[in-house]
Amino acid sequence: MTSIACHQDLASSPANNLCAGLPAWHGSLQLDFAHQMDKTILARRQHNGPLLVQKVLYPEGPAVCHSIVVHPPGGIAGGDQLTLQVNCQPQAHALLSTPGAGKWYRSANKVARQTLHFELDQGAMLEWLPQENIFFDQSCVELDTKISLASTSGFIGFDITCLGRTASHEIYNQGQIRSKTEVCIDGELVWYEANRILGRSHPNSNLSTLSGLANHTVSATILCVKHGLNKQVNDAHLVACRSCPAENGIVGITMLPHVLLGRYLGHSSASARDWLLKIWEILRPALADRDAETPRIWRT
Amino acid sequence: MNHSTHSFNLSRLLQLASPALPVGAYTYSQGLEWAVECGWVHNEQSAQDWIDSVLSHAFSSFELPLLQQQLMAWSSNDFSSIKRLNQKFVASRETAEMRAETLQMGYSLLRLANDLDLLANDHKAFFEDTVECAYPTAWSAVATRWKVDVTDALQAYAWSWLENQVMAAIKAVPLGQTAGQRILFNLGAKIQTISIAASVLDECEWSNYSPALSIASSLHETQYSRLFRS
Repeated sequence: MTSIACHQDLASSPANNLCAGLPAWHGSLQLDFAHQMDKTILARRQHNGPLLVQKVLYPEGPAVCHSIVVHPPGGIAGGDQLTLQVNCQPQAHALLSTPGAGKWYRSANKVARQTLHFELDQGAMLEWLPQENIFFDQSCVELDTKISLASTSGFIGFDITCLGRTASHEIYNQGQIRSKTEVCIDGELVWYEANRILGRSHPNSNLSTLSGLANHTVSATILCVKHGLNKQVNDAHLVACRSCPAENGIVGITMLPHVLLGRYLGHSSASARDWLLKIWEILRPALADRDAETPRIWRT
Repeated sequence: MNHSTHSFNLSRLLQLASPALPVGAYTYSQGLEWAVECGWVHNEQSAQDWIDSVLSHAFSSFELPLLQQQLMAWSSNDFSSIKRLNQKFVASRETAEMRAETLQMGYSLLRLANDLDLLANDHKAFFEDTVECAYPTAWSAVATRWKVDVTDALQAYAWSWLENQVMAAIKAVPLGQTAGQRILFNLGAKIQTISIAASVLDECEWSNYSPALSIASSLHETQYSRLFRS
């Protein structure tokens, strides 16, 4: 079991670790989607520990395989590691979501980790539309995301980050989150983001800085990737995206050669989610050549 | 280092850090113009806070340590590291305007370097193979060619970035010249510390996270009336 020192001071009281004394969970799940006779099937699944998929669904016909990635413990504590690897074989189209918010508990001296590794073959499409991540105060987290596309594959991903349990007026005071996202097309790095979020009590905290989180508790991103995407997303798409307001939040859309990025900053995961879904509805036809069908899990 | 060598390098350093360097830096505000438009920045104090927040976070924990790594790589002809860092920097420019800015400035500085015949042959060959050249990649090549000390180079690069932001604030807010000088004086005091910290920051600690800056830069793309290209 790996044990990486994080904040020594976090471990000062046993009450600081909700899961004190429990062994760490290591969950890994590998999914291979394949395209056979106009249908995307889940050709292989392999799991270790508490990370699995429920049965696959075809709410929009056989071409797109929907599935829900479930983490039965519900929350991730210090020392836990989750690894999700998804391969989409040529022409396969998969849509993955999660059943509820990911909860990242306060940690006692150990880092909680998540690794996402998505590999998309020619003509494949992956939509990764998870619910929000809620980072409890004193959580200590490392997130590592790698997305590798072939020259004709496409990807749409959501990320909703909630800092502290704001419903109970918790402030993200002492935790730290490190998150790295790399996107490659044919092995060439086209998008790179390294995020370090430091709780409010940290001298170098970016929670309240004007160009950082600017006192917002919810930060969300939609990332759409395809080679030459700026030729597929036209001005009408951009105008439509830019005219989508977000309740209680500020939003921006920008178009790079192969990447469209939308960002939300605000105070509500529900309004972030509504905005991301609206943008997704506009862009899905341009990327995947099919209309958006909001996953049922998102409507509950 | 003897005195004559030092003054030789100082003049080179000043030339490289000067706003007279014809790379068009003055045409960019990096989202500051939108921050003014929407009221986030509206006076001397908020202008200083905005510039400080960029300087102390995304700039000093991503751009500056990356520049330092490139300076080291140039001096040892480690072209594969320079290429990797160049790609990383371009890929980290997360809005259309930030990306266009670094590529245009990189291109302009390279053209100048070629016109002045500043680059060694193997450096020239590297750039001929580099389709998208980020500004710090070109800048670090010239600084290395001129044998500028690495820590001095980081401070000079940070200074010229800061000076450019303050000049943008003077025009966009607008602020008086004295207010501008006060911000330069206040934030200039941080540059040495920031540069030293950046030079020892491990690559796994780098962070370019600045969501409000990213949104400001995205919204600047469609701002109705603008003085700046970013």
